[in-house]
Amino acid sequence: MKTRRLTELAMLTAVALIIFVIELQIPNPFPIPGVKLGLANIITVYAVYHYRPGEVMMVVFVRVFLGALFGGVMSTLIYSLAGSIFCLAGMIPLSRVIEEKYIWLSSILGAVLHNIGQITAAVLVTQTLGVFAYLPFLLVSGCLAGAFTGICAQLILKRFSGKAYH
Amino acid sequence: MNQKKWLFLICGVLLLAGVIGSILVLRRPRTSQVEIVQDGRVLYSFDLSSEEDQTIDVEYEGRVNRIEIRDHQIHVLEADCPDQVCVNMGWLDSAAPIVCLPNHLVIQFTEGSGSLDAVAG
Repeated sequence: MKTRRLTELAMLTAVALIIFVIELQIPNPFPIPGVKLGLANIITVYAVYHYRPGEVMMVVFVRVFLGALFGGVMSTLIYSLAGSIFCLAGMIPLSRVIEEKYIWLSSILGAVLHNIGQITAAVLVTQTLGVFAYLPFLLVSGCLAGAFTGICAQLILKRFSGKAYH
Repeated sequence: MNQKKWLFLICGVLLLAGVIGSILVLRRPRTSQVEIVQDGRVLYSFDLSSEEDQTIDVEYEGRVNRIEIRDHQIHVLEADCPDQVCVNMGWLDSAAPIVCLPNHLVIQFTEGSGSLDAVAG
């Protein structure tokens, strides 16, 4: 891998991690695990459209792992990991189909997939199907949060488009 | 253009399914049968309408959730877990269970006998 590429990926990971840690400081008004804005995924959706699948996975998994480490909540790592795997498994193929100008729509689908992955992990951990009762709340929050992060990503792309970034 | 329409439709259906599902889940179940489940095993099962006020300690790997039954309602009073999500969930009053993920604990209404009409309704 070229040094330039590696540096870009490291920078993206660092930016995502900073966003993640800052978001941890915002108190969550919803007492439901998994309901959050997920602002760090602005970087995820951006990376999905601009980097190769392997590179996106590196950015996301390193951020998820270090995020759990920095946040001191290692017990939630399995849920974020399951969510990220579901999200990437859906978004990487979808990014080939969905044009970049609809990035906010593909971000919604990614967020919903992330939530489905999380809740599947929670059902497996607790071995209780009743936990699926949270899926509807997560669908609503996934749609809203996904739209928000997607629109943020779109704004960033607009800023980049005028400049010779690459 | 066509692709855009499909995408909007899929996202709209997801959102609508979420809203409708949330409303269904939030309705108060007609059953008063409650169970405390850990790792898929039912630890306690009781009928809230006839249960006396009490507190129950459930342990998991040295961490304890203190569950309280008061005035025929159930909630988690204290928990050792760092996030306190289960405590913040408050009283159990819908089909959405109280969950403590770190301690693998779930408190939920169960479909005992006589609750079939609640499902059909």
